[in-house]
Amino acid sequence: MNFEGLELSILGPACLAGLIVLATHVPLGQQVLARGIIFIDLAIAQVAALGVIVAQYFGMDEQGYGVEVAAAIAALAGGALLTWTDRKWPDYQEPLIGTLFVLAATGSLLLLANNPHGSEHLKDLLVGQILWVQGSQLRNIAVLSAALLALMWWQRTRLQGPLFYALFALAITASVQLVGVYLVFASLIIPALATTGMRGPRRLIAAYAIGTAGYVSGLVLSALLDLPSGAMIVWTLAGCGIMGRILLLAGGRKRGSVAASATS
Amino acid sequence: MQKYTFILFLFAALCAPQARALQVFACEPEWGSLLHELGGDAIQVDVGTSALQDVHVIEAKPSLIAKVRRADLVVCSGADLEVGWLPQLIRQAGNPKIASGPGYFLASDQITTLEKPSKLDRSEGDIHPQGNPHFQLDPYRVLAIAKALDARLVQLDAAHATAYQQHLADFTTRWQAATKNWEAKAASLKGRKVVVHHLSWVYLLQWLGLEQIGALEPKPGVPPSSAHLAGLVEVTKSSHAFAIIRAAYQDTKPGDWLAGQTGVAAVTLPFTVGGDEQSKDLFGLFDSTIDKLLAVAK
Repeated sequence: MNFEGLELSILGPACLAGLIVLATHVPLGQQVLARGIIFIDLAIAQVAALGVIVAQYFGMDEQGYGVEVAAAIAALAGGALLTWTDRKWPDYQEPLIGTLFVLAATGSLLLLANNPHGSEHLKDLLVGQILWVQGSQLRNIAVLSAALLALMWWQRTRLQGPLFYALFALAITASVQLVGVYLVFASLIIPALATTGMRGPRRLIAAYAIGTAGYVSGLVLSALLDLPSGAMIVWTLAGCGIMGRILLLAGGRKRGSVAASATS
Repeated sequence: MQKYTFILFLFAALCAPQARALQVFACEPEWGSLLHELGGDAIQVDVGTSALQDVHVIEAKPSLIAKVRRADLVVCSGADLEVGWLPQLIRQAGNPKIASGPGYFLASDQITTLEKPSKLDRSEGDIHPQGNPHFQLDPYRVLAIAKALDARLVQLDAAHATAYQQHLADFTTRWQAATKNWEAKAASLKGRKVVVHHLSWVYLLQWLGLEQIGALEPKPGVPPSSAHLAGLVEVTKSSHAFAIIRAAYQDTKPGDWLAGQTGVAAVTLPFTVGGDEQSKDLFGLFDSTIDKLLAVAK
């Protein structure tokens, strides 16, 4: 056991970042699961990374908003492409997403052959370092997430097609730079997966509870066991997902049996 | 009344700040080992990375931030080796003592680095504008860094100045004798040729008079092209290289592949303290490095 990392000032900003990511990813994850396009976040994140590398290839500075804009444009273009393939070949959407992922990933490698600086950026984008989160980053992504959430609420009945892919691309691009692809994937899929079969606001509340428990316990465990935080949180998210599922099943059975005895 | 005074006195004695050892955070194990030599019991050392990690990129752990937060002194290689994580770590720790000034010690500031580009031009693919940061395998640079580091310890913790100066004198004597010994042992290697995995051996090679004829991974993280590999096989054979050298943390596959293609032995060197059984401190690191090179040089 290792208690020295267990400080609010160390874990607090990371926890806040996790909660902001969860805010948009829990509702988006339910859509992703319903559509059966699980690997879309990997594909969009890779396309965003490719956008950054292309921007650097044409001499754009590593720091600054230019790179963020390049990543967002690339992600939106990837989203638009996937919207089009979704219409044209709906049956093959998942394999097309997979193909886009490998093309974007290897395209980065081909471009990087002449850009030794890009590889670090690429790895940052994939693995992410949730503990290094800064105040200014948190503020920016909080504003963006609030805007995305408002848009999702306003357009809740029409959240599909181009609007879904555009929202998704922007949310993923921002969150991947904050916490990395592994955590983004886990935040999208695990809470949604653990609450399948539930509906409406109850499902949303259960999914948020599972996500929050996963992030908080993962950060605390990573401090106590002195292990990398991002990877630890992925595992606690999965653990909380399983526990949440068991609790929900037990609760559902009790209510089910009450309902059954009431009708008989 | 006297009883209360006594209790009060006891309480005050328990609360009084003890003579606190200087807390030092070392980014790499070689500087941790050097700090043990120079500081002895007067300092407490935390080491951020191990020999089995690639120090260009490390994973963020809460304990790392906590260690930097309580440090009085941070000792790192510098020359952009830790540029991917040290600035974030220092910013996140929010410890003004080590953010700049005497609490921030970069080994690269104490020596001249090799391979420093004369002009900064990214198109040429220079990843280290401040020169090659892997200088821990040159005993002369290590000694220069030891002297500067000792002066820094004296500056920060004057109460133990005599001890630090004694430790340095003692280390210098042993280190200079060992350096002579290593040079005598490795004299037969002079002029021999090697292939390296990554361009991280230039100081060792220059010190021992070895010649580098090629690198497996000239750009870290980017797989080499097939044309590069074909040329490397050719030059490895034709120039009679005696070894393909790599660090303990690096993948063994590329070196083994080249060894299979050419019949030249691939050898894993510790690279830093903790890289193998024998490398328990700086002396063991150099002993092991030279023994392993000699073993394949026959």
